[in-house]
Amino acid sequence: MTPNLFFLLASLLFSIGLVGVVSRRNLFVVYMSIELMLSSVNLVFATLSRLLGDAGGSTMAILLIAVIAAEAALFLAIIIHLYRQSKTLDSDLFSDLKERT
Amino acid sequence: MPEFNLELIIFSILTLFMLGGAFTMISAKQTLYSAFGFLVSMLALAGEFALLNSKFLAIAQVMVSVGAIVVLSLLTILTINTKVENLPKEPYKYLWIAFSLLIVSPFTLLLYKVLTTLPAHFAQAQTITTKLVGKTLFSGWVLPFEIVSILLLVAMLGAIIIAKEKLKGENS
Repeated sequence: MTPNLFFLLASLLFSIGLVGVVSRRNLFVVYMSIELMLSSVNLVFATLSRLLGDAGGSTMAILLIAVIAAEAALFLAIIIHLYRQSKTLDSDLFSDLKERT
Repeated sequence: MPEFNLELIIFSILTLFMLGGAFTMISAKQTLYSAFGFLVSMLALAGEFALLNSKFLAIAQVMVSVGAIVVLSLLTILTINTKVENLPKEPYKYLWIAFSLLIVSPFTLLLYKVLTTLPAHFAQAQTITTKLVGKTLFSGWVLPFEIVSILLLVAMLGAIIIAKEKLKGENS
């Protein structure tokens, strides 16, 4: 086993997340893609922790998991709020800040 | 004959599940199927952490990411319960996905090349034990730990306030 395999997997995951954010319009898919990108960073941290034989990477990954949890709570709350306002999940329709009608 | 490498086989299976879950997530039409793909992906990620000898991280991943975040997402999706015809219309979805994959792939290569400038061998088989992680977390990483606890508190309050329904007499 070499770290390069894990790095390859992490970069692939990050790219898939980026593609999901860019190409889909469903708010939930956008949210889950962002989570996937954050988790791929987590995988890089864990690999570095093993590579350098140091617990700092694992510690940072645990802190990052807490950040991901906070992000999930806020994002889901925002999705519920937006859905209650306009009964849609289409991210293209939410442009309130651009032009106030 | 290639040598029999159990770690590599487990890694391949986990990678298959992970990439399959991720692709299901970004390509499924129904939101619920995307969430299930996300669930599979997160579980496989916990397996990768276990493969990297970070036991505590694997357990934390299963408990927080799978047990809390994915379940919360599933609950939200089921509560909102959008009909298929109310989902965003995406007639050129696969075209968009293929196009953005094409755009993103050089970036992936760059990311991989940057990450692999590090030495290509693991240090001697060393397990990052829970004790070691705890000692690191509460000695050198106390300030980030406290900041994260405040962040979680603020995020909880913010989520409650954002998702709260407006009361009758309250004007926007």
